[in-house]
Amino acid sequence: MSEKGNSLWSDAWRRLKKNRLAMVCLGIVAFYTLAALYGEAVYQYYHAKDQTAFYQKTDLGLAYQPPSSKHLMGTDALGRDVMQRLIQGTRIAYKVGIITALIAIPIGVFFGCLAGYFGGRVDDFVVWLYSTVASIPGLLFILAIAMVVGKGLLGIYLGIGLTTWVGLCRLIRGEVMKHKEQAYVQAARALGLSWPRILFRHILPNVFHVIIVTFTLRFPAAVSTEVIMSFLGIGVATEPSWGLMINSARMRLWQGVWWEMTFVTLAIFGLVLAFNLLGDALRDALDPRLRTEGS
Amino acid sequence: MFRYIAKRILQMIPTVFGVILITFVLFNIVGGSPAMHVLGRHVSPQALEEFDEQRGFNKPLFIGLRTTTRAYADSDFERTAGDWQKIAGIIWTNGTVILAAGGEYALPVKFPLRTDCEYELEIEGRSAGFPMFGENQLKLSRDWKKISLRFQSLAEIVPGDAPVEIRSIKLRRVMSHPFDSQFIFYLTRLAHLDFGVSSSTNQRVSKLMLDGIGPSLMLAVPVFFIGLITAVMLSLFCAFWRDTWIDRFFVVLSVALMSVNYLVWIVAGQYLLAFKLGWFPVWGFEAVRYIALPALIGVFSGLGAELRFYRTVMLDEMHRDYVRTAQAKGVSRGGVLFKHVLKNAMIPIITNTVIAIPFLYTGSLLLESFFGIPGLGYLGINAINSSDVDVVRAIVLVGSILFVIANLLTDICYAAVDPRVKLK
Repeated sequence: MSEKGNSLWSDAWRRLKKNRLAMVCLGIVAFYTLAALYGEAVYQYYHAKDQTAFYQKTDLGLAYQPPSSKHLMGTDALGRDVMQRLIQGTRIAYKVGIITALIAIPIGVFFGCLAGYFGGRVDDFVVWLYSTVASIPGLLFILAIAMVVGKGLLGIYLGIGLTTWVGLCRLIRGEVMKHKEQAYVQAARALGLSWPRILFRHILPNVFHVIIVTFTLRFPAAVSTEVIMSFLGIGVATEPSWGLMINSARMRLWQGVWWEMTFVTLAIFGLVLAFNLLGDALRDALDPRLRTEGS
Repeated sequence: MFRYIAKRILQMIPTVFGVILITFVLFNIVGGSPAMHVLGRHVSPQALEEFDEQRGFNKPLFIGLRTTTRAYADSDFERTAGDWQKIAGIIWTNGTVILAAGGEYALPVKFPLRTDCEYELEIEGRSAGFPMFGENQLKLSRDWKKISLRFQSLAEIVPGDAPVEIRSIKLRRVMSHPFDSQFIFYLTRLAHLDFGVSSSTNQRVSKLMLDGIGPSLMLAVPVFFIGLITAVMLSLFCAFWRDTWIDRFFVVLSVALMSVNYLVWIVAGQYLLAFKLGWFPVWGFEAVRYIALPALIGVFSGLGAELRFYRTVMLDEMHRDYVRTAQAKGVSRGGVLFKHVLKNAMIPIITNTVIAIPFLYTGSLLLESFFGIPGLGYLGINAINSSDVDVVRAIVLVGSILFVIANLLTDICYAAVDPRVKLK
């Protein structure tokens, strides 16, 4: 934090800190992040040793044990610990959320910046590109990409990543258009700086908050889509994704095995809710003008 | 007005073209021919070629005179002699195949070549003699050289009195004209409104889609209107009680509703309301009551986001000058809300409604497949699971085009209502 605390970020942080709900959400997000990191560590450990991880080991003698002190969230149809699998599901969810953002954000920022800065033909092209992508029905487009690329995590990454950059692109384009006319950009241009430098060193930091807010709000949406895709059998197949867990728990629910379903549901709900509320709070804290624009 | 409409229709063309291009890139270029996937791995190359022929996958992509054929895979002999190893009398060393002098060697094609078109042979090789290919001479020399040769019917390579060494060999089919391509094939079929044939049921895709649209609309239309009315009502309620705990409760509720995964709504609804309590049938599509539960779930799953959206719309209107004027005149709070605010909020409400209409036709992918409603969503999910490219492509394409048209209609409505729009 700068000494007087009136830079954009410290200002936003101060506003965010006042919002108690947002701080609770931040705590929940931190908790999930730790769970995902722990899951990744466990996964890497067993991967490096080339062993079947304990959350994958089946023991039919232990199947369908209700929650107890030994298995806090019970066991599933193959006697695997539900809690450990939930943690692995968190790992997958984070991977999907982050990697799809890493695909979508650069595309959106790149096209948005170019369109906003240059206008004219470039702008026409970018607007054509995103309105074309935006007119294709969302989930169906994602599923179709995943089908073409092949089932598995790669299909999920590309499907979600290549379709969800449109909203960000639109926002960035608008912001860059506004900033282009401002004095600091004119000054930079008068100094003879090259356009990539003006665009990415001068303007981009000023619209960076848009990216942060979009990421926070896109993350839960990507996770929800991954759950649906894995559930439908188009996504993850060999690792314990939340979608797969819902799928396996669904049939057992009818026989009274409630714990797997309940805990998976709560895990997804908690993550999505925390990110949604945090995203709203961030939007209010970083840029109150954006409040009415998003969904 | 007519000029504006004409301008908007012209602007629509690039988008429609873009959608066609994206579906083409996705399914034809990235996806490639689904023949192997549909027919299975243990099918003869000839059957695969016939599948491709029927669906136009054995043509050049955009423009071109040559296309690959499944009869002979490109071979560069780097690691193996490939199909040539079955042929008696050849020697394979150091990435070259040597055809000994004095023999006759047929190209090891997997099935007889077509007789109605020309083929082209591309050979990289060398020879000290005068090898022949049927009537034609292979113009090879002592140094490595690439040659290509057109022929009508397949002949044997006759090295003559010196051996022929070959590094790589390719076989291409020659197209009669350069525009006989996959893209043009696709466009022509679209122009005839021919969406192809489903590879899993062998029915025409257009028939499957016409059959599916009825059930889809039967589910989607009630969900849409009940959802819309509920959300608008609740948002007015929130606006009326704004900044009280009632409003805040609904705000939190809408975010919570949004955060419940769609799957959970379906699974929980099916389990609790249909299975446990027995209020609704669990699965099937036989009478109107089969629609009730999926419709209810559809309304609830969408309510959170809609309520949030319309609440913002209403609150935005509440801060306008005309509201203050009305209040100053002594219009009651309810009167302001229903007479003034609701009327002005109709513009964003209508936009949102018209834009949502094309999405009605896909129905809900998930609701339909879970409740066994034989609509387009059900069709789409099944098609994706069985890699039925033609069906998926048709659904994506028609959905997108409907969206573009709905966009156009919204803009025209806008221009009709608000003349300022035309000037932009």
